[in-house]
Order: sequence, then C-alpha cells, then structure tokens
Amino acid sequence: MTFADHRCSWRLLLERCRIRVWMLFNYGNQRIEMATGTPTNGHGDAALSSDSGTEEVRLEQFQYDDGIVRLFATATIVWGIVATLVGLIVAVLLVLPSITGGLPWFTFARLRPLHTNAAIFAFAGNGIFAAVYYSTQRLCKARMWSDVLSRLHFWGWQLVIVLAAITLPLGITQSREYAELEWPIDLLIAVVWLFIFGGNFLMTLIKRRERHMYVALWFYIATIVTVALLHVFNNLVIPAGWFKGYSVYAGVQDAFMQWWYGHNAVAFFLTTPFLGLMYYFLPKAAERPVFSYKLSIIHFWSLVFIYIWAGPHHLHYTALPEWASTLGMLFSLMLWMPSWGGMINGLLTLRGAWHKVAADPVLKFFVVGVTFYGMATFEGPMLSIKSINAFTHYTDWTIAHVHAGALGWNGFMVFGMLYWLLPRLFQTKMWSDKLVSLHFWVGTIGILFYIIPIYAAGLMQGWMWRAMDDTGHLMYPDFIETTQEIVPLWWARVLGGVLYVSGMLMLGINAMMTWMGRPAEYENPVHTAPRLTKHYVDDTPEPHSPIEGAPVLEVGKKVSIWSQMGWHRRWERLPVRFTVFTTIAVVVATLFEVVPTFLIRSNVPTIATVKPYTPLELAGRHIFVSEGCYNCHSQMIRPIVSETKRYGEYSKPGEFIYDRPFQWGSRRIGPDLAREGGKQSSFWHWTHFENPENVSPGSVMPDYAHLLTEEMNYDAIAPHVEVAAYLGAEYTDEELNNTAEVAYKQAEYIAADIVAQGGPAKAYEKQAVALIAYLQRVGVDLFATEEPEAEAAAEEAGADSESTPEEAEPAGDEAAQIDRPDQDVLVLN
Amino acid sequence: MIRDLVSALDYSSFAELALALFVVAFCTMTYGTLRLSQKATDRFASIPLSDEVEDPRP
Repeated sequence: MTFADHRCSWRLLLERCRIRVWMLFNYGNQRIEMATGTPTNGHGDAALSSDSGTEEVRLEQFQYDDGIVRLFATATIVWGIVATLVGLIVAVLLVLPSITGGLPWFTFARLRPLHTNAAIFAFAGNGIFAAVYYSTQRLCKARMWSDVLSRLHFWGWQLVIVLAAITLPLGITQSREYAELEWPIDLLIAVVWLFIFGGNFLMTLIKRRERHMYVALWFYIATIVTVALLHVFNNLVIPAGWFKGYSVYAGVQDAFMQWWYGHNAVAFFLTTPFLGLMYYFLPKAAERPVFSYKLSIIHFWSLVFIYIWAGPHHLHYTALPEWASTLGMLFSLMLWMPSWGGMINGLLTLRGAWHKVAADPVLKFFVVGVTFYGMATFEGPMLSIKSINAFTHYTDWTIAHVHAGALGWNGFMVFGMLYWLLPRLFQTKMWSDKLVSLHFWVGTIGILFYIIPIYAAGLMQGWMWRAMDDTGHLMYPDFIETTQEIVPLWWARVLGGVLYVSGMLMLGINAMMTWMGRPAEYENPVHTAPRLTKHYVDDTPEPHSPIEGAPVLEVGKKVSIWSQMGWHRRWERLPVRFTVFTTIAVVVATLFEVVPTFLIRSNVPTIATVKPYTPLELAGRHIFVSEGCYNCHSQMIRPIVSETKRYGEYSKPGEFIYDRPFQWGSRRIGPDLAREGGKQSSFWHWTHFENPENVSPGSVMPDYAHLLTEEMNYDAIAPHVEVAAYLGAEYTDEELNNTAEVAYKQAEYIAADIVAQGGPAKAYEKQAVALIAYLQRVGVDLFATEEPEAEAAAEEAGADSESTPEEAEPAGDEAAQIDRPDQDVLVLN
Repeated sequence: MIRDLVSALDYSSFAELALALFVVAFCTMTYGTLRLSQKATDRFASIPLSDEVEDPRP
C-alpha cells in the first residue's frame, strides 16, 4: 500500500465519519445503514420485512430489560434506608453531640455530608435511574442500547456511593456543599454519568422506534447534559495528592461557581428528572393522559432556561457583586411560574379521577409529592427575595425548606413510583397494601413533624439574631442563647425523622416480601414494532402562511410559517439536535453570569494587606476543611447592622482571594468565624477543642479532642503550599523549599503562647496547633498594616499580628472599598 | 482582548438584558405551543399509556 493509498483511505474514512455525524444530527432517529442492512443491537432482535410500497418497513422484535430496573429499584430502597438512618443519626447528634464518644469519624460535620450525599446521589439518584431505565425503554419502544453499559452504570454508581461512604467519615472532603467528594471520585462520577449513562441513553434515543420523543425524555436529556456540565466545571481542581485537590477558583469566584453548581444540582438532579418521572408514572398510575401536553412543553423550556440563572440567590448580601445577586433573585422569582405550571399539570392530570386517589396509595404518594413540589417551589422564589433572604439565610428555615422538597417531593415521588413498579417488576401482587397505606400516613406525618418545628426554629433564630433593644444593642449578644432556645424543636425533628425512617423500613419489608413471592421465572414478553423509516412522512399538513396572498414582504410570510413551530416538532424527533439545543439554552445562561464574574476585575477588588496563608495556617485550613466546620460555622459577615454588631466589620470580596475552597457556609449552628482571628487566646481554642462546654456552656459542638492527641505531620504540608503557589499565592523560596521548618517555627511560637496562658507543653506536636494558627489568622488581614519590605514579612511569617480588629484601621486599597456604592449597610431589625 | 472587552461592558444592566432574553424565548415558545393542533397533542400525551406500539407508523 502506497502512502497515497493510505491518505486516500484516511480521507474516505474521514468522509464517512463526517456523513455519519451529519446524518445522526439530521436523522438521529433513523438507521444510517441501508434499509437492506441487518440491525446489530446485540439483543438478538428478529427483523421481519414487509413492503410498504415506497420504502421497506422492518418489523422488529425486542424485549425490555427489566433486570436493570430491578437492580436500581432495589438499590433505591437500600440506600433510602441508609440515607434516612444517617439523617436521623445527625439529627440526634445535634441534640446529643457527645453520644458518639468523641470518635472523629462520627461527628455531625463529617456525617452531615454523608447524609446529604446519600439522600441525593444514592437514594434519589438510584430512584432516577430506575425511572429512566423503565420509562425510556417503553417511551422509545426499544431496549436500552447496551446491556453492558447499563450494568456498568449500575455497579459504577454503587462504587461511587461506597467510596463516598468511606471517604466522607474519614474527613476526605472538598467541603463544598453537595460536591464534597474528592477529585478521584469526581472523575469516576464523570465517566459513569456522562459516558456510560449518557452514552447509553442517547444511543437508545437514536435507535428508538417511537417517532415522537415524549416530554419525559426531554427532562431526562436536560438532566444528563446539565448535571455533566455542572459536575465537570465545579470540580476543576489541582491535585495535592490522591486525597486532596484545590479548586482552580478562589473566594468569590469559587462561591459563585459552587452555588451555580449547588443550586442547579437541586434543579437538574432533584427536579427535572423527577418531573420526567412525574410525566410518565403519574399518567400511568392514573390511567389517563397528562392534563396538558402544551403546558408540558412550556413548562420544560421555561424551567430549563430559567433555572440555570438562579444560583446567586444563595449568596445575597455576601461579597458577591450586586448585579449577579439581582440577576439571581429576578430569575428565581420567575421560576415560580413554570414550577407551578408543572405542579398544576400533575395535579390536573387527576381531574375526574380523584375517586381513584382515595383508593390508590400510589396516587396518594404522587399527589402529596406534587403538592410538596408546589409548596417548595413557591417557597424557593420567596426565599430568594433579598429582604426575606436577609432574614432566613443561615437559619434552620433553609433546612426545613430543603427537607420539604427532599422528603415530600423526591421521597414521595420515588415511593409512589416504587409501589407502582414493584408488582410489575417482580410480577406478583404487593405483599401488603395495608403496609403501603401505613407508610403513606406515617411518612406524611413524619414530614410534618420534621418541617414544622424546624420552620419555627428558623424563625426564632432569625428574630433572635437581629433583635436589638432601644439603645441599639443586641438583645441576645451570646450566640449560644439562640441555639439553646431551639434545642427542643430539634428534638421534635428527631421524632419526625423516626417516623420517616419507619416508613422507609416498611417499604423495605414490603419490597422484600413482594420479591420473595416472585415467580420462579420472570415472564419477558416479546414486543414487535417497525423500525422507524428513513424518511418521515408527517401527517400534519404543510404549514401555510395565513398571509400568503397578502401584499407583504416574503420575509413576513416566512416568519409567519416559522412561528407555527414546525421546526420544534422536528426537534422533538431528532434527539441529537434536541440535546444540542437544550445544552445551548443552559450554556448561554451560564456564560452570561460566569464570564463577567471571572473577567471583570472590579468584581473582586484587591486589598493590599491580604496575604497568602502561611504553610502552618494552610495546613490548619486543610484541617478546618476536612472536619467540615463550614457545616456549622459561616465565614461571611453580611452588611446588616445586627450582624456587624455581633461579628465585626462586614466581609469584603478581596479578603477571600486565597480561599480554596471558600468557606462562607450556608448555615449557622455556631457563630460566624469571619473575624475570629485575635478574638480568643490560643489556649481558649485549645480548651474549646478539648471540650467546648468548658468555655461555652450549653454548646452543641462535639469535642475535637483527637486534634489534641494526633501528631502533626509537618512533612505533609509541602504539597499544599506547592499547589497554592501554583494557583497564584505568593510564597518565598524559604516557604517553598523548607516548608516544614517554616511551619514548625510558627507552631513553636503558638505553642509557647499556649504554655504562657496556662496550657500544656509541646502543643506544636499536635494537629490542633495548625488549626489554631489558621483560626487566629481568619479575618485579620483587612486590619493589618502594610509591611515596609517584603523580606521583613518573610522573616516574620508566623508571627501573630499585634493589631486587633477593634483597634486597627483598614489599610491599603481597602479604604476605598469599605463603602461600596452597590451595597449599603442595611438597617433591618 | 476578551477580558478588556468584557471589562468595558456596563454589566449593571445584565439582569434586565437576561430578562429580555428570556421573555423573547418564552413568548416564542408559548406562541408556537399554543398553535399546536389538539390532535397532535392528544396523540403525544397518550404515548406513555401503552407499552405496545399502537399502529405501525411510517
């Protein structure tokens, strides 16, 4: 073979690929092979030919793969029990923080992410997959494209969950809400989600035998595309070892990206796939079509277009630029309408069939689930209003809100689906219908017992934190007072949790007994359907312009025809194109927010006195992140009078430029730490870790005595400093080349301080010293004075700043930043 | 170059621009959807009700 022949064959191959891609894009639902070709889908489908006159119609036989649905349904139940049990444990840990005997793996801050990850990705995730694998095959009249990919998806996803269950209690975490898992697991998630699940799903759509893609499939497409996008871009990190990665974003930008992800994880993992579930399983259970298909189309595009913009509402009154915050609020408010459009569509599907609801527990679950969706999606936009958010943010109101959504909407929709599916999957009757009804009532009462006290707790926190007397002083200056007041309400939540977990166990027992009553061999009926022909003949008449004969420009007639939406009907038959346009809808919104945030320098004004953390402080911050302290302590003082009175000067965007990840938090079980540096002595912190009650009687914080006993490994600090330097933090050669010595020197200084204050000797050998170094540094740079020479700063690395927030003045460029024109201090009481 | 271009933008009106963008998209979609024939929507809505292929389509 000559070189010319090689080149020719390559050209031919490229040309074939080009044609294949073009045909996929334009005729995605049709076979690319010639009509006389043999389908090779690996399922042994039989193909029967019949002559239709113009083109060969191929009748094909196929069987649905219910085995994979059984696997995912079982995993949903197992992980549902685990997730709710862990939730119950963390609820108990809040009222009885010492119940685990100080074991570091079982603190609230380490287990809370395990609970959220288990609830979202294990319970809801497996529930989504069960729904997708069951409904997609039937909506496409096709078996999943690859059984191997289906199984790889199942086992890959369970592996992710198990890895999460191992790493999170060990303190291996990014400490970014819902994105806690470290980078190796993130890579696994990306592969399993996008390439295995996404690839299998898209190929099933392409090979389908139903011309029109039903609306549930649109929601699945949006879910797969957007979750992949969110996951990849939010988890861009530079590894500092196998168990640690540092975000490429810092401070304000990290916060923006994280809540773009976090909010849209709720949108595209806990909403859109469940809407797909609703649009398929609710009509199936009610045995009547969805109330309005037109409304479902409007619902879909509105939701996909709006949801992606709304993330900044999680960051109102923080150091985020005001324009982004306004944008987030605006779109969050608009979200109310499409969300309620979906709710109305769901509930009105049952019009004329309410008598069925009274008798059928499956429909009861769906009705309550959709109602909770309506409630949560009214409350969400309401909480996004800045003035309301100023009150509710950081309080337990947020916790009640998310649990109304998670327990009511996600939980009950999954339960309804499972109770409808299980008899069909196991091909026998449900073991106990009474137990299904009992689960419904116990679960419903459990949700109410959970959310009502926690709403009350949120309201109490909001009022108490901002309550001021006539003289302008805080009425509850001691944060711990506000926590102690709500402890009885946390106990009520435990009762609600017990009820909800009981319901989960009922489901587990009922499912297991149903499975035991299964036939010796499952029936697997063979279905017959024609393969979709290459050339689709739409039975709807060609669109004609109503102004055909009128004396208007030709372009006017074309616009008139375009407005009849024939092109959208075509999209609905072309999965690849539909996927591309859904992606565009999501990406446009994202770029609109992300590009200015990252490129406009004035969004993050620099502060001359803000310097990188020293090696020891960086190690301490790593401990802070690993322990998940952000779960209880925020680091963001908002420009609100009561807040600045309680914590000090409000936070500035320039203070966070070295914070990877940002640790602003979204809830305060303990006080804010943004100005913690210099507030307490080092020995106070030491004692606080040993037993919080010694210095804060009534504290619900568990002890961190293990930090006082575990050895500090100074040699392990270097990789953290190297990555920080790589990402732009300025370190001296000494700090980079002799990291351990520099850190040790600062640790000795702090240890001496602890001894001088009456503490134990040799504190520098323990991990607590690094965390203390970090806490003593937090928030002090704003008030520091500029060092005359950089070298002096290097020599003094580790020395505590002598100035305190109370007596020092802001310095450097910050003088101009204190009074930001776009964010005045509020007078909210 | 892109950084300079974006930095020169007056982004205070981004929220309004985004709103306008959405309104245009929403109105277009709604208008077109409302023009869908009842026959077509009824057919689409009934897709999940049967796991069998109702009729051999072209």
